[in-house]
Amino acid sequence: MESSMKKLPPISILFVVALLGVTSYLALAVAPTERTMGDVQRIFYYHVPSGWVAFLCFFINFVASAVYLWRRSEGSDALAAASAEVGVVFCTVLLITGPLWARPVWGIWWTWDARLTTTLVLWLIYVSYLVLRRFSAGGQTQVLAAAFAIFGFVDVPIVYMSIRWFRTQHPSPVMGGGENSGLDPAMAHVFLFNLAAFTLMGIVFLVLRYKLQMSEQALESTHAQAALKGVA
Amino acid sequence: MNLIAFLNEMHLTPYSAAAYAIAWLVYLGYLGRILVRMKKVAAERAELERTFASGKTATLTRSAS
Repeated sequence: MESSMKKLPPISILFVVALLGVTSYLALAVAPTERTMGDVQRIFYYHVPSGWVAFLCFFINFVASAVYLWRRSEGSDALAAASAEVGVVFCTVLLITGPLWARPVWGIWWTWDARLTTTLVLWLIYVSYLVLRRFSAGGQTQVLAAAFAIFGFVDVPIVYMSIRWFRTQHPSPVMGGGENSGLDPAMAHVFLFNLAAFTLMGIVFLVLRYKLQMSEQALESTHAQAALKGVA
Repeated sequence: MNLIAFLNEMHLTPYSAAAYAIAWLVYLGYLGRILVRMKKVAAERAELERTFASGKTATLTRSAS
């Protein structure tokens, strides 16, 4: 057990570097160049998978928070905390790569359209969730955070549907967006590979962050026991 | 093949290069942060358990996470 914990850091670093390396190579060297946008469109292969993993993490956070309110289990609370943090990291990359793609294509870094604004609000909701968990004092933090997460998740379907409900600067869905949507097969292969690789990377982060959260909670209880023994 | 030749093979623009570099930095930085925190917590826990086992009064200092 101890030796497997020691092997975890080098293996996870190698695995994540390999995933980033392969996905970058496929996106930047193998995928065909898009006709109208040119090479800058290759940001798509990191932008969309990052958004997908962020949504997935926020969904896990929603389910884990509901389970925590129902069962009050430490494991579900740890999973909720871990998934929110990992989701914020992927959402941060989504919000950075978006403007870097928008600037050469739209001529602007940012616009307050429905998709961009709801995504920024989503990021702010989960940053607030993490701040609440970090700085809230008292015994009700976990319950408050779980309730906050359930209300916060309402923004996820709004972000997803925003480009279907409103005419926005942001393009319509590339896949599953109606008659004129779809990707060239060579692009679709790279995209689907990157989607799977990013999902794997998200799972690696989630497992590690969950282990860390559980260790921190165990440390808290050891501190509490030590305090009691020290007082006695 | 050296690094420059390899990078020349990539269809990079200044914007896509920045996007990919930032994404790598964020993901690897976050992974590094988790691993450093795991190491710190494990060390702190071992130290506390040693103090606990030796029967001394525990010190309640904690590392900032």
